[in-house]
Amino acid sequence: MAHVSVPMYWRTIPQRYKMIGQKCKKCGHVNFPPKGVCKYCSVSSEFEDLQLSGRGKVHTFVLISSGGAPPEFAEQEKAGGMYPVAIVELAEGPKVIGQIADADPKTVKIGMPVKTELRKIYTEEDVIRYGFKFVPATEEK
Amino acid sequence: MAVGISGYGVFIPRLRIKREEYVKAWGSFAAAGVAEKSVMGFDEDVLTSAAKVSKRALESVPLSPDKVSRFALASTSPPYTEKLLSGTVLVTVGVPNATYSSDHTTSTRAGTEAIIAGFEHVMANPKGIALVAAADAPRASMWGSVEHQLGAGAAAYVLSSENLVAELEGHASNVTEHFGERFKPRDDPLLHDLNVKKFAEGALISNTTKAASSLMKKLNRKPEEYQHVVIQQPDAKVPSSVGGKLGFTEPQLAAGLVSKNLGDLGAASVPVGLAAVLDIAKVGDKVLVVSYGSGAGADALSFKVVGDRKAVPRVQAEMDRKEYIEYVKYLKLKGAIV
Ligand SMILES: [Zn+2]
Repeated sequence: MAHVSVPMYWRTIPQRYKMIGQKCKKCGHVNFPPKGVCKYCSVSSEFEDLQLSGRGKVHTFVLISSGGAPPEFAEQEKAGGMYPVAIVELAEGPKVIGQIADADPKTVKIGMPVKTELRKIYTEEDVIRYGFKFVPATEEK
Repeated sequence: MAVGISGYGVFIPRLRIKREEYVKAWGSFAAAGVAEKSVMGFDEDVLTSAAKVSKRALESVPLSPDKVSRFALASTSPPYTEKLLSGTVLVTVGVPNATYSSDHTTSTRAGTEAIIAGFEHVMANPKGIALVAAADAPRASMWGSVEHQLGAGAAAYVLSSENLVAELEGHASNVTEHFGERFKPRDDPLLHDLNVKKFAEGALISNTTKAASSLMKKLNRKPEEYQHVVIQQPDAKVPSSVGGKLGFTEPQLAAGLVSKNLGDLGAASVPVGLAAVLDIAKVGDKVLVVSYGSGAGADALSFKVVGDRKAVPRVQAEMDRKEYIEYVKYLKLKGAIV
């Protein structure tokens, strides 16, 4: 398993729990997840925090099934079954990888509107690692 | 100064298991009147659910999370027995770190404990805003009949003195010393129940009826003056037994009887039932809610509906959004087989 230490995980809480991104002070592009150097202009390391909406659209996705899950997600796959992992294009521009939860895998489609919410990602050292997953955005309408 | 509910939100996990699945597996189903019940997904727990309903409750007002000056969380099934729980929700929702918070976890009365704690805050601080979330998914051994009733769900409330949907008229409680019914010894994450049915029923009925009648006496209220009554729902029959003793009829209990389709929501039972009532209540309606926690104690709260602003989604919509699972999948999700 890709070990992520507790302090290392803790530092990423703003992005994992509440979708805090960064806006480049030089080129204005939004980076998510936050980077040391802007992914778009490749020069600036000056950012301001930006609360993202958590909304976006499925850009592409794969279904992870039996045996295909990384070790930290193997238990999830065994208990919960096949799950979709998507690249989502966020409303603010960046494309991010995340699981799609609370949806029948057969109903996941490219272009489908999604939004983030807090889920258990995995457990390591008996510590539950929470973070965002995407869920269908139409559910509340 | 009037205080009350300014907003609310609910969440029911999408998975359901029908009573027939239990009958197939065990030959019977022990939860009276429960047709199906809700089940949390593998990646959900009471903290993720509490975060979700807290956001929905704030959106229903609407109110920015940085206005919250008191936060309270209620659950009998938190993921840790020691570790502050509110922080996960507070940080996710964006409630200020300096907000005082409390975790209420030791009985199914926890939901109303947290709500009363929230009201105490807003009564003492006229500008105060309390956010209270109750989320539960109790767990017991698959061999115990108490397991059959256990469901999952969450509701949150914004309590303040402004933009009221329902005004608090008063509250009353009753506490006794009882044991043997629904408890968790320190070293076991699963519920125990010694099946002392008559004894347990006595504790439940005496605490709930005493809390409710002392409140009604204080308010000089007769049973027929309430349009809606929500009573703790370990199953779908208990509310009728308690309600009958207090002089309430089935129609008064109908709107808040969520256990028929969701099972026992533990500390979230009364909070979700109250949300279902607020979803359909009319201005002027009176609502009585009575919680119960083994050990034992009961809280009764009386509300008058003063606004018709409804939360989205409604409890009914959350009930309708579902996917059925079989008993084997249920066992896997509950970690009973690995
Ligand atoms: Zn840049």
